[in-house]
Amino acid sequence: MRIIEDLRQSVIDGEMNITQELMQKALSEKLPPEQILNDGLISAMAEVGRRYEGGEFFIPEMLISARAMKSGLALLRPHLTAASVQAVGKVVIGTVQGDLHDIGKNLVGMMLEGAGFEVFDLGADVSPDKYVAAVKEHRPDLVACSALLTTTMPRMNDIILSLTDAGLRERVKVIIGGAPVTDKYAADIGADGYAPDAASAALCAKELILKKG
Amino acid sequence: MISKREIIRAVLEGQKPPYVPWSCGFTKEARAKLQQYFAPIGLEEALQNHLLKLGNDIGFFTDLGNNRLQDVFGVVWDRRIDKDIGNVESYILSEPTLEHYTFPDPLDQRFFADIPERIAKYGDRFRLFQIGFSLYERAWTLRGMQNLLMDFYDHPLFVQGLLNTIADYNIAQVKEALKYDIDAVYFGDDWGQQHGLQMGPKLWRKFIYPALERMYRAVHESSRYVFIHSCGDVDELFDDLIAIGLNCFNPFQPEVMDVPALFKKYRSRLIFHGGLSTQNTLPYGTVEEVCAETHQLLEMGREGGYIFSPAHDVAGDVSLQNMLAFIELLQSQPGYLNLN
Repeated sequence: MRIIEDLRQSVIDGEMNITQELMQKALSEKLPPEQILNDGLISAMAEVGRRYEGGEFFIPEMLISARAMKSGLALLRPHLTAASVQAVGKVVIGTVQGDLHDIGKNLVGMMLEGAGFEVFDLGADVSPDKYVAAVKEHRPDLVACSALLTTTMPRMNDIILSLTDAGLRERVKVIIGGAPVTDKYAADIGADGYAPDAASAALCAKELILKKG
Repeated sequence: MISKREIIRAVLEGQKPPYVPWSCGFTKEARAKLQQYFAPIGLEEALQNHLLKLGNDIGFFTDLGNNRLQDVFGVVWDRRIDKDIGNVESYILSEPTLEHYTFPDPLDQRFFADIPERIAKYGDRFRLFQIGFSLYERAWTLRGMQNLLMDFYDHPLFVQGLLNTIADYNIAQVKEALKYDIDAVYFGDDWGQQHGLQMGPKLWRKFIYPALERMYRAVHESSRYVFIHSCGDVDELFDDLIAIGLNCFNPFQPEVMDVPALFKKYRSRLIFHGGLSTQNTLPYGTVEEVCAETHQLLEMGREGGYIFSPAHDVAGDVSLQNMLAFIELLQSQPGYLNLN
């Protein structure tokens, strides 16, 4: 499908206006919404992730690609709903309490959305109680926590303990990331996954969803 | 006796110092712990840093109440959570244009007022005039980080104009500062992530490098040294930075760069300031581990080329014992005599 291939390329190139035009065209030609999503938008963001991992793309390229993807997704979403196409999974994401750094968290949110997840962004400085409330409200598959500082990283453990206390820990997988965070720290606090950057966070989330079945 | 100023100069000129000099920074929370320990001796006296930081790294602020402060650029910072710097509340340049914005006066006397007094008090130290948020960071505090990063593609002429105007502001301030008996200018600007550059090398070279080249030239025209601070994994830029006159790089973070390998590679071309792990060893290590890492760094710098420091202002989650461990090792070096 030439239109979907061009749509995919426009997202990789971060050309939002072209993405919107091609999305309109794909929809007017009644291409299957699920195919537009998977072969156009999700496939494009997977390629963006690969290029980021490979050192070819950096944050600006990821941001403009994500913006193009979001603008296309906004047009596609009503058609996905009408066709009963489900998201890959639901994620509640936030930067932990006491930490206001949000660009890393935003990038992870964008890459998760680009991987087909429904993302509920709680913002920055999110308390364990807010995470618990959001898990009760949105019933996500995954909880994603970000911290930039060694002083705020321990709040990730508090979130896991709060989810356990609320009887919600078995329902969700918890993934963590941020500059001082390591896979060892993730293992120490009993998180299910760790990713060093936004592109691998999306891959990690998908793997966890597959395991969750 | 050789002064701290002469020791730093010797290091910058590639000579072997009598001991490894240092200059360590601490956040408010960490400072409070140390102050309590060293009282009644003041912290400046207790630490014996070799660098005297003049000017004001993050500028001057008007207190708006409720931990909200406005800097000289008009940006309002919320310090309810991050008490040292704060977070930008809203971005002044909501559109990619400078048409409705006037830059502050770079010659605002508050930046220079206490220089004579501080030089008189700490005259034996090497004098740095600091400009924090000196280019890319100043741009994103005005425009927003995500907006600016996308502007590199969407509005390149605006970004060039903004960075050039910031560089002009800095150069005017540098020229005024260098009328005083100052040794170096210290530009702070974080470009790195934990892995790689935020904007990547291509955009860095296109947008950041030309402005830096002008700023560094202004310092060297007055025969002074250039120091920079840039957090994160930025070592791929060292050759470019050396080419335009960088003399000393901070923070030299061991979590994101191979400290011993880079030290060896750039020996005699670039001086390093920093090196002690603030993401792992200081907050999570034992006193023995802090001592071992400090000792390795001091050994590395024994022949010169190095100024010791933790790789960031030490944060409040570091124990007093771990802070005292490296301070005591520094001050017990053979060749160092604390006369204070």
